[in-house]
Amino acid sequence: MSIPAHSLQTHSLRKEYPGTVALDDVSVSFTGGKIHALIGKNGAGKSTLVKIIAGATQPTRGSLFVDGLEVSLPSPRHALERGIVAVHQELSLVPELTVAENILLGRLPKKRGFGNSVIDWRRVFARAEQILTDLGIHLDVREKANTLGIAQQQVVEIAKAMSYEPSILILDEPTSALAQRETERLFDLLKKLKMRGVVLLYITHRLQELHEIADTVTALRNGALVGTIGIDQATPAAIVQMMFGEVIQRSRPADLVTPAEPFIEVRSFSRSGVFWDVNFTVNKGEVLGIAGLLGSGRTELLRAMFGANPPDSGELIIAGQHIRPTSPEQMKELGVAMTPENRKDQGLVQLLSTTINLCMSSLHRIAFHGFLTRAREEHLVERNIRELDITVARTDAPVAFLSGGNQQKVVIGKWLNTNPRLVLLDEPTRGIDVQAKQQMFQIIWDMSNRGISCIVVSSELEELLDICHRILIMRAGRIVSDVRPSELSLENLFAACMKEEV
Amino acid sequence: MNANSRIQSLFTNGILEIILVLLCVVLSLAASGFLTTENLLNVLRNVSMQGVIAFGMTMVIISGEIDLSVGSAVAFSACLTAFLTGKLSTEWASLPIALAIATAIVFSLIFGFFLGVFTGFMRTRYQVPSFITTLALMTGLSGAAELITNGFPLTPFPSWYNFIGGGYLVGIPFPAILFILTFVVLQFLMNYTTFGRSVYAVGGNSEAARLSGINVSRIKMMVLGITAFLAALSGVMVSSEIMSGTATTAKGWELDVIAAVIIGGTSLMGGVGRVWGTMVGVVFLGVLMNGMTLLNVSEYWQHVVRGVIILVAVLLNLLQKEKGER
Repeated sequence: MSIPAHSLQTHSLRKEYPGTVALDDVSVSFTGGKIHALIGKNGAGKSTLVKIIAGATQPTRGSLFVDGLEVSLPSPRHALERGIVAVHQELSLVPELTVAENILLGRLPKKRGFGNSVIDWRRVFARAEQILTDLGIHLDVREKANTLGIAQQQVVEIAKAMSYEPSILILDEPTSALAQRETERLFDLLKKLKMRGVVLLYITHRLQELHEIADTVTALRNGALVGTIGIDQATPAAIVQMMFGEVIQRSRPADLVTPAEPFIEVRSFSRSGVFWDVNFTVNKGEVLGIAGLLGSGRTELLRAMFGANPPDSGELIIAGQHIRPTSPEQMKELGVAMTPENRKDQGLVQLLSTTINLCMSSLHRIAFHGFLTRAREEHLVERNIRELDITVARTDAPVAFLSGGNQQKVVIGKWLNTNPRLVLLDEPTRGIDVQAKQQMFQIIWDMSNRGISCIVVSSELEELLDICHRILIMRAGRIVSDVRPSELSLENLFAACMKEEV
Repeated sequence: MNANSRIQSLFTNGILEIILVLLCVVLSLAASGFLTTENLLNVLRNVSMQGVIAFGMTMVIISGEIDLSVGSAVAFSACLTAFLTGKLSTEWASLPIALAIATAIVFSLIFGFFLGVFTGFMRTRYQVPSFITTLALMTGLSGAAELITNGFPLTPFPSWYNFIGGGYLVGIPFPAILFILTFVVLQFLMNYTTFGRSVYAVGGNSEAARLSGINVSRIKMMVLGITAFLAALSGVMVSSEIMSGTATTAKGWELDVIAAVIIGGTSLMGGVGRVWGTMVGVVFLGVLMNGMTLLNVSEYWQHVVRGVIILVAVLLNLLQKEKGER
């Protein structure tokens, strides 16, 4: 190949956010003509690294080198001019515009004259056609983006990226929405790009893809670089070791009860296209974990149990009562609570105060014949703040001012005030600091000791091993096994979620 | 809190109240007829019919919706009351006039309430924006008012009926009493009941409210229902004041009402606002119009001034909010 390979190096990159260090002293080097996989847990620093490389955020310290020259990228536009293009996980096509317009958005060829303000449609389509042909893709450039499937939209995103003729291309979980065949087509495309000497950074959670596509594997953990290995060394055990490090088993309180009496039974729960024939039982006071990848149906299952998105078929049995969940209001009456995955937009009303948010689900309990009294509210709020150790300067200020961990405690407090018997926790520790996580575990154990059952969905598998009595493994909308944390290692749990033999 | 920061908080939270007081001081110096009991009661009477609706509209806007049909609903309710009174006291039932009037009023109010509930139903069941449903109602009700009156004012009322819109009780205009009563009820409803709390939650983030086990549909239907009820009440007051059901009354009221709510600090984005703020907004506009009339400012100028006030008030609110966030 005569095309010179590009390269990308980072030198001692550090990124501080108020209160946390997202990236710490990361020096790594990526060469062109190879596909470099970037792995790590949520919050490991992958997205911060990508943002810095793409000019979306500035490092606190450190420098970047493209093709051996130091560059400074104050904005994504500067990065684009340097040939650095990122394709994000969320698709960003304009649905009502054609494929060609989306590819050339903001850079549509203009007719000469008329003050350079009239679009030359013939050239628009010809240029887009050319880009797609170069990539070996057959797509009608006149079709509107909203008529395309997800995979085709992904392809258009990549074509758009390619239209900048990048020397460095970053793909953030490009296959998360793709089916097997579509993934293969994408991989073919990436291999072609590789031949052109492009530096390809590939972020993925699907570790089984690594061997199909990657040449090297680089891992980040807690903001620091763990290392880079060649794909031939990347055994599943090595990957887990790189991602998770030495796993420290947190000490579980000795007085944790072993629940025996069943509280709720889920019977043949199905929701078309999301999960099928799910059956399980949760005991009184039990902490049940649900492990599974993004898209395995775990969040949807919780939402169905809570009536937020009711199941198509199936029922719940609580104390002999057969129930079809239809609304959160109904499930609340039955003693079921849910802290949603998206705490900021679904768990809290950010505009309103901490007090109002804490009382939101239990208004009827607090009120006296429908009338609210300040004294009763304040009494309850004080108790929440004391018991959950919420750090809040003013309870009458908008809850938006609180940190992630404290906001999560407010969501839990809101539900504890309803006197729940079952709490569904979706990613309860996402985006909160280590100390707050530890407190969250304690809160879950306290609930368990008080006889409240908990179902915890988490991407942090080692957390599930720490906090749960029992773990269900969910894959592609089905529960595939039912295990006890003492019976298996993190590697085994991880492999079970991935459907890979270790 | 020391005296200094207390004054500061008064300025940031009570800026509109302060401006209102200043306006009153200026007007009482500039216009000799302003600071008399009679004139001030007159101001209250003038604002009361729109004001009654404004309190309901405050709830609607806080809940994240809008009601454009209130002006037409006033006209329709006035005409319906007159129409039913006429029919019930003559060809349909030959009821005694007092009973006919009472029946007509009760029916108009209930009908108004269910029109609002219908808007809420369309919103929550079929996701039709309240802007659209109430826009349709605005046109439809206006036409319906013309239809039942045949385009001429209906005048079936005996002279004592004028009490509701034009009478006095212990020296206070009766409509002003209804206005203050509505304020007290909605102020209480929004601040001291589970219902009021739920309205703020639904308007602030309806998905979070739903996932908190709040029945969002019921809240929206109730809020729109109460407001349409108040518009119908306002229609009854208007029919009494002018002693007829006239289809062309209350044209454009929806915008006056929304303006008063916005001036009072309620955010069109939902979730933020106070009934008290609307009270101040309504009185502020009333005093301003009254003052300008006393000072012989032309009506055209009054409209221009009102336009400027709306813009300045919203700007002040936004600047204040920005300051609070910093």
